[in-house]
Amino acid sequence: MFSNHLNLAAGIDVGTECVKAVIVADDGRVLGRAVAPSRGYFQACAYDALTAACEDAQTDRRSLDRLGATGFGMSSVGEATACAGDASCHALGAFQHLPQPMTLLDIGGRDPHVISVDDLGRRTDARGIRRCALGIGSFLMFAAHHLDVPPARLQELAAAAERTAKVSSYCSVFSATTILERLREGATREEIARGCIQSIAERIVEIGGFREPLYVCGGVVEFFPGLMQAVQELSGVAVHVVPDPIYTAALGAAMMAFREAPAA
Amino acid sequence: MTAFDATSTLKATMDRYYRDLGAAAERGTAPVAWCTSVGPAELLRALGFRVFFPENHAAMLGAARTANRYMPLAHAHGYSQDICSYLTSDVGAYLAGESPLSAYGLQGTPRADVLVFNTNQCRDVRDWFEWYGRAWNVPVVGVRSPRSLEAVTDDDVEAIARQIERLVPTLEAVAGTRLDAPRLEHAVRVSRECSDLWELCLRTAAHEPAPLTFFDGTVHMGPAVVLRGAEEACAYYRVLLQELEQRARENVAAVQGEAFRLYWDGMPIWGRLRSLSTLFAEFRTSVVASTYCNSWIFSALDPADPIRSMARASLELFIGRSEEAKEDYIARMTELYRVDGIVYHDCRTCPNNTNTRYGMPGRLADRTGIPALVLDGDVNDMRCVSDEQARTNVEGFIEQLADARHLARSARV
Repeated sequence: MFSNHLNLAAGIDVGTECVKAVIVADDGRVLGRAVAPSRGYFQACAYDALTAACEDAQTDRRSLDRLGATGFGMSSVGEATACAGDASCHALGAFQHLPQPMTLLDIGGRDPHVISVDDLGRRTDARGIRRCALGIGSFLMFAAHHLDVPPARLQELAAAAERTAKVSSYCSVFSATTILERLREGATREEIARGCIQSIAERIVEIGGFREPLYVCGGVVEFFPGLMQAVQELSGVAVHVVPDPIYTAALGAAMMAFREAPAA
Repeated sequence: MTAFDATSTLKATMDRYYRDLGAAAERGTAPVAWCTSVGPAELLRALGFRVFFPENHAAMLGAARTANRYMPLAHAHGYSQDICSYLTSDVGAYLAGESPLSAYGLQGTPRADVLVFNTNQCRDVRDWFEWYGRAWNVPVVGVRSPRSLEAVTDDDVEAIARQIERLVPTLEAVAGTRLDAPRLEHAVRVSRECSDLWELCLRTAAHEPAPLTFFDGTVHMGPAVVLRGAEEACAYYRVLLQELEQRARENVAAVQGEAFRLYWDGMPIWGRLRSLSTLFAEFRTSVVASTYCNSWIFSALDPADPIRSMARASLELFIGRSEEAKEDYIARMTELYRVDGIVYHDCRTCPNNTNTRYGMPGRLADRTGIPALVLDGDVNDMRCVSDEQARTNVEGFIEQLADARHLARSARV
């Protein structure tokens, strides 16, 4: 257990694919972390993730001084003492690991952003993807389903491909039907997996605003590291990964909670 | 959106306009001309036409959120979903035999005796009018304007003035009357007065807190659009201006507790006017000015030189200018209205009135230090709008502005 003088905050990032929770000490150390899939009611998923993160940190919810929430479903975290948008939390979370100005590429389940982060960890600009290419992470999950592999194995499949099956579309929904067409044409699962990752990289590079140093965070990089290589090749900008990338926004939310006055 | 006492006068003014138009189209009380929003309306009024602006009609379809019901009918006629959704929703409504103008007693879209376009805004307006020209077998005439102009030169003005003059014989033949110079001068004088009054109304939003928002402006601009060159429009803006000035004097805010002020560039998202207005207000943010509402300010109009001044006014229009001229304009507006940020609407089917695609937001942010937010959407096609994405992006943008302000204040202490 922790010494009594430590203040603790939890950060919860309620995303479209998973809920990420971290327990953070006021000196910035991450003491516990957990991920729960976003299935059913967000409230229940957030509860599960927070409880698991507390267990990981060997503490309990009553010991938490603050609770920061962010992400698609942040409004479902009723006990939150602070709420902030994804881009601000990603910026702050990445800055906690890498205290420097940077371009931060957040690739999560729904809405990737290219975020400019200043020398204080603030977002100074955030560009989103076009509406018709929303749901990138969800698309990769869909692709894994149609290729009959667990999502975590999609990257492994892609890495084994000798060539790329073209799965390029403006629209993630349309891309999904293209996967079926490629399967019918006899492309291998490996080639299609690589095509899916390439397609996502193309959509991300189209957002623009890439300036060095470029870092990536969010859940997608955790499962699909090949995406980073594709983005790097297409953009010509070296891509680095923020430590613990899936927890970046949750960490930012916790740090945001420390900044703000606790709820009465 | 803000409730104004002037709204009842607005409704009565628009009601009279539509009913008069209906009488002309359906009972033949006057010839009817269709005109693009910045077409030569003054010339048409001087010839006694009742003037219909189909962009206004399309905006009504968008605001009523019926546009998506009609667009497939135009798509089925070979008009792509990627072209102007004003065009496809208006043509679709015509094919369906329905119109929001039925609320004013019209049986449908008013039939034109002549359609008059100006391509200063886009090519789509011409295609739009030619569709009706074929459907009704009536003349389609117009002005073909140069676009992407840096400065508007005398040569440019002369060329357009000659084109306007060449419209006259056809229009006289349709109207069955000769153009009377004093009537044209009068129409231009009244049009200029309307423009000046509308400009004064919009300028009241330079006051902090702003007494009206861009969203209010999109409603109250109705007479400036459809009654340009008519006394009724001036009468309405005198009433509105009085109310706005009083609100400014009394510090009555359009957005309670106004904390941030934004500038809107690009078309309105008609089907989301109310929800966006509510969303910004939720964050105590007032969208105080816009390129769109300003586009009905025609300071070049001069009754002493009616045709040439009409030509100049149509060429000076923001949408027809170069990137550099547009950037200078927006930079001036951000200073005039003291805004904290700029919202750009990337309008899927209106590339001509979308300024996000050639790097402008980044260049202006670097030049002015004012951050930018780009919202994906469309003028009428609500399939191109993601409410959740818009909300998330607006929320994050306001956080960014708040953070920057907090830091600036801390630095001063």
